[in-house]
Amino acid sequence: MIEIKDLKKEYFEQEIPTQALRGVNFSIEKGEFVSIMGPSGSGKSTLLHILSFLDRPTGGVYKFLGKSIDEMSDKELARVRNSDMGFVFQSFNLLSRLSVYDNVEIPLLYSDIPAIKRKGIVEEVVRSVGLEDKLHTEAGRLSGGQKQRVAIARALVTDPSVIFADEPTGNLDSQSGLQVMEILASLNKKGRTVILVTHETETAGFANRIIRIKDGVVESDKAITSNRVLNGSLK
Amino acid sequence: MIFQDAFKSATRSLTHGKMRSILTMLGIVIGISSVIILMSVGQSAQKLILGQVQSIGSNLIIIAPGAPNDGKFSSPASSQGIIITSLQLRDVDALERESSIDDAVPLVSGQAEVVYGNNDKTINYQGSTSSIFPVRNLEIGKGFAFTKSDVDSANQVAVIGPDLAETLFGPSLSPINKTIRVKNVSFRIVGVLKQGGVGAFGVDQGNLVIVPITVAQKQLLGTTHLNTILVQANANYDIEFVKSRITFALRQNHGITDVKKDDFTIQTQADILEILGSITSILTIFLAAIASISLVVGGIGIMNIMLVSVTERTREIGLRKAVGATNEDILQQFLIESVLLTSIGGVIGILMGAVVVGLIYIVLTTFFVSIGWVFAFPISAVILGLLVSGLSGIAFGIYPARQAARKNPIDALRYE
Repeated sequence: MIEIKDLKKEYFEQEIPTQALRGVNFSIEKGEFVSIMGPSGSGKSTLLHILSFLDRPTGGVYKFLGKSIDEMSDKELARVRNSDMGFVFQSFNLLSRLSVYDNVEIPLLYSDIPAIKRKGIVEEVVRSVGLEDKLHTEAGRLSGGQKQRVAIARALVTDPSVIFADEPTGNLDSQSGLQVMEILASLNKKGRTVILVTHETETAGFANRIIRIKDGVVESDKAITSNRVLNGSLK
Repeated sequence: MIFQDAFKSATRSLTHGKMRSILTMLGIVIGISSVIILMSVGQSAQKLILGQVQSIGSNLIIIAPGAPNDGKFSSPASSQGIIITSLQLRDVDALERESSIDDAVPLVSGQAEVVYGNNDKTINYQGSTSSIFPVRNLEIGKGFAFTKSDVDSANQVAVIGPDLAETLFGPSLSPINKTIRVKNVSFRIVGVLKQGGVGAFGVDQGNLVIVPITVAQKQLLGTTHLNTILVQANANYDIEFVKSRITFALRQNHGITDVKKDDFTIQTQADILEILGSITSILTIFLAAIASISLVVGGIGIMNIMLVSVTERTREIGLRKAVGATNEDILQQFLIESVLLTSIGGVIGILMGAVVVGLIYIVLTTFFVSIGWVFAFPISAVILGLLVSGLSGIAFGIYPARQAARKNPIDALRYE
């Protein structure tokens, strides 16, 4: 599903080139739950941005579903982001003045899904994160954990094959963080690929594979045979 | 993103900051309403002026002494205060022999003090024949007009305007058969004109004194030439043909062989209407142009607020882009917002303009009846107002909208 070879990203800051990624290689199959870990400045966020089509690499190959990012226009990238990718951010990025319903509906506004079908889809995904009673509440009035669940609902609404989560528990207390991770784990169980960036070992432990990044290269790439889900610490 | 969704989210974001939206609109409201007001008032003034010219009748031809100047907007030398004596009473006789002409009326005029008892007033007097009354549509309210025999035998009789009658004789005394003095010449009043307002060419009909031309020339002016000849063309003939007949007759009378040396100018009502129409149109456009300065100021206000809004909503833009919005989607969203702002402002401006135009009409027709103000609310101004407000939304919204569309989603999402 995801295939990267010798991926490089170079930034220019005040005309001084900074190498964020110096040649990253790995591939991710459909249905995996991958944690990308690394200290701040390691390049893990840059990597996630490229993987999620928010940014383009400056070198190497990135193929998503067999198609190279270099062959795609910005418009096509936007289309793929809309239909095949879901996003969960550390700071939620909800429009606080809009209702839960309106927030979750946003990706559908940019999709081909006809207006009459939207209501049912939105209500269903909101129910799946357990917030059906908050459907018409302003997003700004929700708690942090509820906000992140709305964000997950928003990520799911176009039924994407992969979910990108950038430090999804970073702004949450441990209880809400756990809840959010449980939802992500259950999505993975139902066949969705989940790619998670985190620096918390606890959070990373939900995955079945951990890729560690340091100084722009892969430091280690290990499958986890006994993660928290398999261990039965979750229901 | 389909238009309805974009429209919905635009109205939503505008209603979230109601006060700001209203204040932003204010510039456009003022701009559009002033354009509407000035265009309407300009057209009213134009109607008023043209209406007065039309009231002289479409068959009327005016002959002034002096060569016609080149160019539409120049007037013959005679109207600029230079005395030219080329028109004579025998020209009138010659014109009356033309079958295409119903009537030719000589006209002399001057200014003098008119006295009755202790009352006096400085007025314009006109010397003419008895035909002046039907040709100029001057109706007699009291008494009678003077007759052809009055003119032929140079009787010292006069017809005066109603305002002058009021000034000299007050409300109760009848002016008929009273004797007034103009330049120490006594005139017996035989008739008073009906109230008619300010007539064409700025002559105040209410304060006019009309006397037989024979008396005016001999006793008031001491001249033999004419100021103007008014010609009533026969309605069966084309006005341009009548014009050519007049030209021919006058050239023959004056012994002119070189067409460039005409010593008279012929103007029809249509000529005057054209000139006045052009002048008043230019004036209206000029007024509207001044008003549109406020529109530009309003537009800059919109641009300013939109730029602020784009900055404030950087994260929203980033998010929308992350979940699949293209640059065009974002551009469209912000353009719809600014066009919506200016269009609503435009509609309010048109309504406000209409109210003010209506008030002007009510005030002028209630308290200044004699002006004869006419109502005008040109539909073209409404269409222009809507068009301009909509277009200004695009013109002043495109820059902020492009700024929004160009934002890099990663930077936008990180924006604090």
